[in-house]
Amino acid sequence: MSKILVVDIEKCSGCRICELACSWFHEEEFNPAKARLSIVSWKKAAINYPMICEQCEKAPCAEVCPTDAIYKDEEGGAWKVDEAKCIGCKFCIQVCPLGAISFFEEKRGAIKCDLCDGDPQCVKYCPMDAIEFVEEDKVGLKKKRISAEKLFATMQEVK
Amino acid sequence: MANDGYAGRYLRVDLTKEKFTVLPTPEEWKRKYLGGLGMGAKIMWDEVPPEVKPLSPGNRIIFATGPVNGTLFPPSGRYEVISRSPLTGWWAHASAGGFFGPEMKYAGYDLIIIQGRAKKPVYLHIDNDLIELRNARHLWGKNVIETTDQVIKELKDPDVKVACIGQAGENLVRYACIMSDYFRAAGRTGLGAVLGSKNLKAIAIRGTRGIKIANKEKFNRLLEDAFKRHSPEGKYWEYIESFRKYGTFSLTDWENAIGRLPTKNHWTGYFENAEETIGMEPMKKRHYKRHASCFGCGIQCKYSSIVKEGKYAGTESEGPEYETVEGFTSNFLSTDTNALIRANYLCNIYGMDTISVSHSISWAYESYEHGILTKKDTDGRELIWGEDGMDHVIELLEEIPFRKTKFASLLAEGSREAARRTGKGSEAYAIHVNGLEASGQDGRPHKSLGLTYAINVRGADHLTSLSSLDELGYKEEIRRRYKKETVDILADRWDEKYKGYIVADMEELYALCDSALLCKYGVMWPPIYYHQDFGKIISVITGFTEYENPKELNKLARRICHLRRCFNVRLGWSKKNDALHPRFTEEPMPTGPAKGQVVHLEPMLREYYQVRKYDWKTGYPTKKELEEVGLEDVAKELKRRKKLIPVYRGKKAFDIRKK
Repeated sequence: MSKILVVDIEKCSGCRICELACSWFHEEEFNPAKARLSIVSWKKAAINYPMICEQCEKAPCAEVCPTDAIYKDEEGGAWKVDEAKCIGCKFCIQVCPLGAISFFEEKRGAIKCDLCDGDPQCVKYCPMDAIEFVEEDKVGLKKKRISAEKLFATMQEVK
Repeated sequence: MANDGYAGRYLRVDLTKEKFTVLPTPEEWKRKYLGGLGMGAKIMWDEVPPEVKPLSPGNRIIFATGPVNGTLFPPSGRYEVISRSPLTGWWAHASAGGFFGPEMKYAGYDLIIIQGRAKKPVYLHIDNDLIELRNARHLWGKNVIETTDQVIKELKDPDVKVACIGQAGENLVRYACIMSDYFRAAGRTGLGAVLGSKNLKAIAIRGTRGIKIANKEKFNRLLEDAFKRHSPEGKYWEYIESFRKYGTFSLTDWENAIGRLPTKNHWTGYFENAEETIGMEPMKKRHYKRHASCFGCGIQCKYSSIVKEGKYAGTESEGPEYETVEGFTSNFLSTDTNALIRANYLCNIYGMDTISVSHSISWAYESYEHGILTKKDTDGRELIWGEDGMDHVIELLEEIPFRKTKFASLLAEGSREAARRTGKGSEAYAIHVNGLEASGQDGRPHKSLGLTYAINVRGADHLTSLSSLDELGYKEEIRRRYKKETVDILADRWDEKYKGYIVADMEELYALCDSALLCKYGVMWPPIYYHQDFGKIISVITGFTEYENPKELNKLARRICHLRRCFNVRLGWSKKNDALHPRFTEEPMPTGPAKGQVVHLEPMLREYYQVRKYDWKTGYPTKKELEEVGLEDVAKELKRRKKLIPVYRGKKAFDIRKK
């Protein structure tokens, strides 16, 4: 069973530790611009959302890739970019409905989340537990639980 | 970019000549001064002689990062601003969290040094290698939120990080601050007025470069440990959890419990029923809106708050921090937290240090109480303590940034100058040390804090050498750090003994923290990191392995402490400046758990001088000590100015630290 990343937007504080952990793991440097996920922030309203690859079943990035550089890693379940095949056409960036793919200036190619070979660093370091690594078939249950908790908290407040 | 944690370059902007210079960050600066306050001290000493006035074009204002900023080591999201203060006339620094500091490094700059004065209002835009001055005439007169919004809009980049001044900085309010990321303040010592004097409204910065470090494997080990210390497995989880849940105003309850919550312009340290009225629970319940954070933080104390009812309903801002809570509630004997949130919002948008402005206004309230100020002086206002007096506080916060009236303009000068101009004994109510208004602390219930205020290079502040160990009773930490025979005495916050030594130790620790640089939360409240932690992290990030040797590390810390002080000594600082406001030394605490206490400064000052090897008569430094920490040139210049003591003849300090 594959696992995917699940975000709880209410918990994300926008500290960008996930971005740093990501660029550190993949590139051995600290650089949010090279992270495979990005926090989108509305600082004035203190709203933050980590934009991550959801590892689509029918992945537009893979379908549109002219050189088949994006392939499914059957073991971990992540769509990965084969750097040798990527020609830097940026089609994948344009078709991704979430904007989860970035262009890597130095390598002149696309980068995306590869789930860190099963040990996602963003999950490991997030101080707020805003990102979790959940088995695909439990994602729905997980979301139900998050919603129920919020509902419960609201009910308590009303009481 | 070398593998040493630094961006590797620094930018100098001459606003008069409209000239930019980008140079490699010198090896000497890195190795000897590390970054942040250390490098700032080096540049201020070299470039700003005493004749350069704070608001003159010759003054420098330096935005500084350190090697740890922007890495994953928490909490690494800060930057320091260093200059000479228009409020105090002495050394100035202020630090802010948020996202601006790391972005400087990602754009490729360890420092931005600003000098000169632009002919007309401008803002500085930096995007990696692009550096430009842009017209800011249309921004002049706009507040912090409007300015930030407009800069983001015209640069068409929602991710650009903006530091700017509000109207207070433009109008040279002496305690104007620099605001970044909308709500983060480089608050103290009036640095917003320095930017205002230079006609520099804002700095907008964006970068996409990375930071590399010296030793990956060792870094990863330290990282694991650091994150563990910020988790439920760490021994200070109780405090971190509290900061996370409530924000820094959880300190309100803790301070009141020891009688150290400044109340009524520092008249006392105890505010009756604070826990039920302005404490963490009521604040959370009434005003908490959403969680927020600075960059790369493991503590996570930030949040935004809102007023839900009354005439200020809908007022929303990040914060307030503990200092602001104290400044606008107990400081005025008020439990009106709606007015507090409003005051915090106004200070944020106009860009004023909440500590200095609240205590400058409370100077006026106490002077009014004693009949020194009358309605004639206050534009017809009756300045009375309590909730009913808060309307006038809010009005004044709307007037001071614009210097709208003579009275508002007087308060815009800060409490020391306002009292000097007013006279008639009002100096007794200007609670400042060396020109900087006292923060939300009091030395009477916490003796070491008294010394901290007296010897700090920037005046009465709580972030340069405060010992939280005696303050909040971190006894286990005292036992871990200091010799057995000193533990009980150090833990007693009313006992002056050994407090000079612990304050010197803290000053050295914070010098490292502010130069590396990390957030003070994490070394202070709670005391997660200590010297050896800095030695290790500096070594693995920069590759300066000599700092794993405690002796070398201590030399670095002392070098930074001495150099800042020498900057002040060159300006005329001497023994008489190492003093306190009589409120702390002569007026016994009137109420609360610390009733009857005063600060006996001398025994603590003697110990502190022993550690620093300062001359007891003059307060000047000693030649040998300066030379030992590598400040030979500084010693030479001070000698020329007759401000150097050839040989230290005082007692030897007792080393409280464990080997």
